[in-house]
Amino acid sequence: MDVWQQLFNLLEGVPLTLSISIISFLVGIALGLPLAFTRIYEKEISFAVDLYEKIFRGIPEIVLMLLFFFGLGTFFPLPFGSAFFVACFVLGLRSGANQSQIYRGAIRGVGDEQMIAGQSIGLSKWRSIWHIMVPQVFTFSTPGLGSEYALLIKDSAYVYVLSGLLEITTRANQIRQSTGDFITPYIFGALIYIAITFPIAYSLDRWGNRRKKKIGL
Amino acid sequence: MTDCVMEAKHVYKTYCVKGEKRKDVKVIEAVKDVSLQIRKGDIKLIFGPSGSGKSTFLRCMAMLDIPDKGDIYLGDQSLTAKGVDLNKARARIGFVFQHIYLFRHLTALGNVELALRQVLKLPKEEARKRAIAALEEVKLTDCIKKYPSQMSGGQAQRVGIARAIARKPDIILLDEPTSALDPELTGEVIDTLRDLAHEGTTMLIVSHEMPFAKEVAEEMIFYDEGHVVETGPPSLFFNAPNTDRAKQFMTRIINRTTRE
Ligand SMILES: Nc1ncnc2c1ncn2[C@@H]1O[C@H](COP(=O)(O)OP(=O)(O)OP(=O)(O)O)[C@@H](O)[C@H]1O
Ligand SMILES: [Mg+2]
Repeated sequence: MDVWQQLFNLLEGVPLTLSISIISFLVGIALGLPLAFTRIYEKEISFAVDLYEKIFRGIPEIVLMLLFFFGLGTFFPLPFGSAFFVACFVLGLRSGANQSQIYRGAIRGVGDEQMIAGQSIGLSKWRSIWHIMVPQVFTFSTPGLGSEYALLIKDSAYVYVLSGLLEITTRANQIRQSTGDFITPYIFGALIYIAITFPIAYSLDRWGNRRKKKIGL
Repeated sequence: MTDCVMEAKHVYKTYCVKGEKRKDVKVIEAVKDVSLQIRKGDIKLIFGPSGSGKSTFLRCMAMLDIPDKGDIYLGDQSLTAKGVDLNKARARIGFVFQHIYLFRHLTALGNVELALRQVLKLPKEEARKRAIAALEEVKLTDCIKKYPSQMSGGQAQRVGIARAIARKPDIILLDEPTSALDPELTGEVIDTLRDLAHEGTTMLIVSHEMPFAKEVAEEMIFYDEGHVVETGPPSLFFNAPNTDRAKQFMTRIINRTTRE
């Protein structure tokens, strides 16, 4: 395999790396947003959110992946036998815990006044959250969200411990095994990671800064 | 059957705040036994020293803060009873905030439209028409597309008023609508309020704009240390209030206004 073949081989892993990170990111939004609001506005059950966050921020994701894939996967091949599912599941839950914390800071930044104003016009608590808080919370979260996304792209590399997911790192390992070249594939891999991380994190930040300007922060 | 639009009966509200030391708890009695009746078309004005609990009382009226004791009525309906749909009730109460609190991510039009669409559930066209009508009423048709950050304080507060009146509430509660504005901007907001007064809008206003009070208020309520000290028509306060505290406060305020 010459270097170009190596590079193309690695590039073929990009869609998989992107889909794992994007799906995990979306799962993280879907979990993190409601959890952040629950933690702030539903005090009685906020301890459960806290527990969830501690678990998923405290255990290495590689351990969770192995546990779910080889442990649960043996008993419940559907869905835990699927490496792709386990990857998105673990990274999504971990990201949910991180994002919950990011959003919580953002909610405080948006301020309780906006909630009160929402309720003053007759919206319920959760509808004020949806119509007034959520749009602003995203704006307030952007620098943090950008790094969270970058983190997911990087952490998607952990799936090399699960068999059969041919994303960038798994491919780099395979190339090393078949060619004995243990430098080029990893350097290419590193460059590809940087190339796909930067633009996305950067455009998220730019979007946030533009919105912040409009909102007047 | 009462003919009151809103009524407060013996309302109490205390706050517990942490003191310097960890175990210190300070109890602030922000509202102590306040009762008040507002009939259709009434304009009542609450005034009094800073920190006396005027905002707290107004928030209790709209149930944005829940009173510890006492009752709030909206028409015949008790809002302090168990199981009341407070969101429905608040849809019938307009609220204007001292610090305006416009929805920052929405334009002027969006701010006014939101309740019409999401609370009254009006169809899009109708909501837009009514929102624009409300913005016309506060003379703000030229900045319907602007975001709050792009408006002057006076414009923002008039959007705040439009947001409160657009759904045609039974009453509007206004908490010092001009006190956060530069003096040269208060005029335009006062003009808007005067227009509303002449249209017969029912209003309970916390304000220290004395000439305005004299002109439109049926009744002025002097409020100090969590309760109503003295009540009467503007002529009473401008000539000879009965209580010393009201007398002192009026002198201070009138001196301040003439100095400016
Ligand atoms: N959410 C709250 N938590 C704790 N204390 C509060 C809260 N809101 C108000 N207070 C306290 O209650 C008292 C009354 O406050 P309030 O804002 O109602 O006064 P006010 O008459 O509106 O004053 P101002 O003229 O400055 O607006 C103050 O001592 C204030 O510190
Ligand atoms: Mg106040």
